[in-house]
Amino acid sequence: MNFKELQKQLKAMEGVSKLSLVRDNVIKIDLERSTSKDFFIKMKEECYFEHCSLITAIDNQPNFELVYHLSCLSGELKVGDTKMAAMLEVHVNLERDSPSIDSVSDLWFGANWHEREAFDLMGIYFIGHPDLRRVLLPEGFAGHPLRKDYVYEIHEEEW
Amino acid sequence: MSAKGIRGNIDLRRGLGSKTTDREKIMEDGPAGDWLALRSDQLLKWIDDAVYNASEATGMREVVDRVTRPIFNFAQRFSPHPLHFGIMCCAIEMGQASAPDHDIDRLGLVYRSSPRQCDVLIVNGPVCEKLRPKLKTLYEQMPEPKWVIAMGECAISGGPYWDSYSVVAGADTFMPVDVYIPGCPVRPEALMHGFLTLQKKIREKEPGMFLRR
Repeated sequence: MNFKELQKQLKAMEGVSKLSLVRDNVIKIDLERSTSKDFFIKMKEECYFEHCSLITAIDNQPNFELVYHLSCLSGELKVGDTKMAAMLEVHVNLERDSPSIDSVSDLWFGANWHEREAFDLMGIYFIGHPDLRRVLLPEGFAGHPLRKDYVYEIHEEEW
Repeated sequence: MSAKGIRGNIDLRRGLGSKTTDREKIMEDGPAGDWLALRSDQLLKWIDDAVYNASEATGMREVVDRVTRPIFNFAQRFSPHPLHFGIMCCAIEMGQASAPDHDIDRLGLVYRSSPRQCDVLIVNGPVCEKLRPKLKTLYEQMPEPKWVIAMGECAISGGPYWDSYSVVAGADTFMPVDVYIPGCPVRPEALMHGFLTLQKKIREKEPGMFLRR
């Protein structure tokens, strides 16, 4: 498959909107939350995106935004004549009341800890995640501190 | 002499260290004064009490203290072994301090890897909520006498992370700190000055043989 063919294929897909090129080898798209799992399965199985580089959560008040960075390192998706790795930047908009989305940690195992981090700091629930615990903060921490409306307290201990 | 024989002997059972002379209460206490039935830490305390009481009663305590205090003080002052424990960038400076340029060994500072062999805990960086219980454990594992040095802004007050959700606002919020060294990061000379200040503090405090009294 070619990089241009991939763009055509993405445009025809259900739930995909606002396709644009960030750089020569990076496509940016917006994705509907409900069709996300089918989309990612197709990306993994048919479109050669065998590596999930990053999952980030952003708090654009009032809604949350998840950003997935997928990359094809095998060279199957040729970007012109160059040897650049094709990348895909997927933005998903989430409601603030119930920020949840299907987990992709069964497709890319590296996504496991990215999702745990997004859950830990931003409080986004990944449905079907095998082990959704806090990863950076201690157990029993209250709240999700990277949310814009989080109010911190200074903890002190007697000695 | 068998253990059974001692067990029956009330005078031995009472021991030098135990305060009470009430027979029935001693019987209730069980192995309180019986030094053969004690655990190791209880035995140490029993010996400590016995030596203290004997020296106090004979007036030898003052004499021994006068004689040994300068020796113990000298030894403590010139061999404060710090724990080899690094948190963040001040740890690099700590390593530089022990490098040939500022050879910190000449002050008697030898880094030890086990808290059981250490006298000084250097907190060299921001302490996050997840590290705090571990650092407290390390501090509690160190034998007395022990001192804590807060090295750098982060350990003093939290530094640039003072209002963070996960960084503790200063090491003195959860453990007693003896010397504060400002700097971001602390230069090796400043660390040496901190240890010299600690030496002064040890000299003034003059802990001797009977430190725990």
